[in-house]
Amino acid sequence: MFDSPGLEPSIIFESVEHRYRVILERRDTLREAFVHWFKKGSHYKEFTVLRDFSLMVFPGETVGIIGRNGSGKSTVLKLIAGIFLPAEGTIRVRGQVASLIELGAGFHPELTGRENIELNGLLLGLSKREIAEREQSIIEFAELGDFMDVPVKQYSSGMYMRLGFSIAVEVDPDVLLVDEILAVGDAYFREKCLSRISGFRERGKTIVVVSHDTGLIEQLCDRALWIESGGIAADGRPQDVIPRYLHAAAVPNAHSLVPR
Amino acid sequence: MLRGLVQYRELVWALALKELRIRYKRSSLGFLWALLNPLLMMLILTAVFSTVMRIPVKNYAVFLISALLPWTFFSQALTYSAESIVGNGELLKKVAVPKAVFPVAAVISNSINFALSLIPLVLILLLLRFPFHLSWLWMPIPFIALVLFTMGCGFFFAAANVYYRDVSHIVQLLLSAWFYLSPVIYSLDFVPARFQPFFKLNPMLYLLNGFRDVIYYGALPSWHLVAASLLLGGVALLLGFGIFARYQDSFVFYV
Repeated sequence: MFDSPGLEPSIIFESVEHRYRVILERRDTLREAFVHWFKKGSHYKEFTVLRDFSLMVFPGETVGIIGRNGSGKSTVLKLIAGIFLPAEGTIRVRGQVASLIELGAGFHPELTGRENIELNGLLLGLSKREIAEREQSIIEFAELGDFMDVPVKQYSSGMYMRLGFSIAVEVDPDVLLVDEILAVGDAYFREKCLSRISGFRERGKTIVVVSHDTGLIEQLCDRALWIESGGIAADGRPQDVIPRYLHAAAVPNAHSLVPR
Repeated sequence: MLRGLVQYRELVWALALKELRIRYKRSSLGFLWALLNPLLMMLILTAVFSTVMRIPVKNYAVFLISALLPWTFFSQALTYSAESIVGNGELLKKVAVPKAVFPVAAVISNSINFALSLIPLVLILLLLRFPFHLSWLWMPIPFIALVLFTMGCGFFFAAANVYYRDVSHIVQLLLSAWFYLSPVIYSLDFVPARFQPFFKLNPMLYLLNGFRDVIYYGALPSWHLVAASLLLGGVALLLGFGIFARYQDSFVFYV
């Protein structure tokens, strides 16, 4: 794999298997549960999303994950973040993780931007004191002006994203997870985010990005990971991996979402 | 898990305050409603039971309110916590945070509401010239027991609601039946002797009587009442939390 002598990996996946439960006929109500009780059928189907998946990521690496829809890219991020627990295998992550999986996931629409900074910061694992220290730089980075004191339900999606991003980067995590989020920002804010992410890399942080924008991966990452059918199809420099991925994507029946 | 809760205590507190803030946010009187609401309710009860319907219990309004306030806390806290996991489902899919923070925050926000409702209670007692007793200082003890019990029930129903959405309706039904079977509008003395053994199986008897003792009778609750209520609270919390902890890892698939 990669030579990073003397450095301990910040993310380790050891033969991880993850199964995703798809609830087929949701037993949302007791009546349905009674019916199923007698049918003895399982009410969910498990899809194996990752199979014997091993991975090591070192501090200072910026890894871009590419792959078809449903190939398991976001699952990898959610496993790193601890939202999903693996069915088998072990995952170890060193340091604080901040996920930009969904910006502003903890925002409450009725609260103002300023009020949401505190709530979101706490959800991301900051203490109140840390939030108070960083509030000013969050507000400055977001550049939302008077909208800081407006309930976020009146925000545009771009403004929402600005505030969410500003909070998450101020967490100053050791491991930053980014999932297809830069799409909503305008060109100016996007550049600002990208330079902030590059700053993370220079300070030896670990970044994992999921995106369909191969141009972005090539610009941002020093390592690309192509995930296909629950395993790693290719792992290497973006300029080597991306053409192979794009070539495979051009093959007609590779687009099917049905697991083969 | 418990360590997680300690580490996230600031989050629990912020979530509890958020719940209160949202509840009163778009009203012009704001937080005043937390005081006005119980005040108006108590005034109506007092008016009705001292003029329209006269029950041969001295100061019946105080007798009723002394158990109704803790009951209202229990029923609201249980309703909120039963909804707390499903209601925060989208969040659980996106942020890794101990799931127990949500039911706990629901109980805490309603505890604050309960504490606030003691202010209008004082006003009513002044109005009725009802004597204050030093026994009020003991109120934290029945309250702690009731909070433990409420959290236990809240954990259980929050988890059950993830799998069966009927649970929130069942909780409402359960609460209204439980209300009439608990000594709120009456006390155990009113119950015919042959039914009393059944009423003694109701945990609410012990949990609510502590409040009535300190507020209405001006007496310290007996030590075996205190022991029984704390024991019930502790057992309920252990059971409820045990079930919650056992299933919480798969919540994310069902919310």
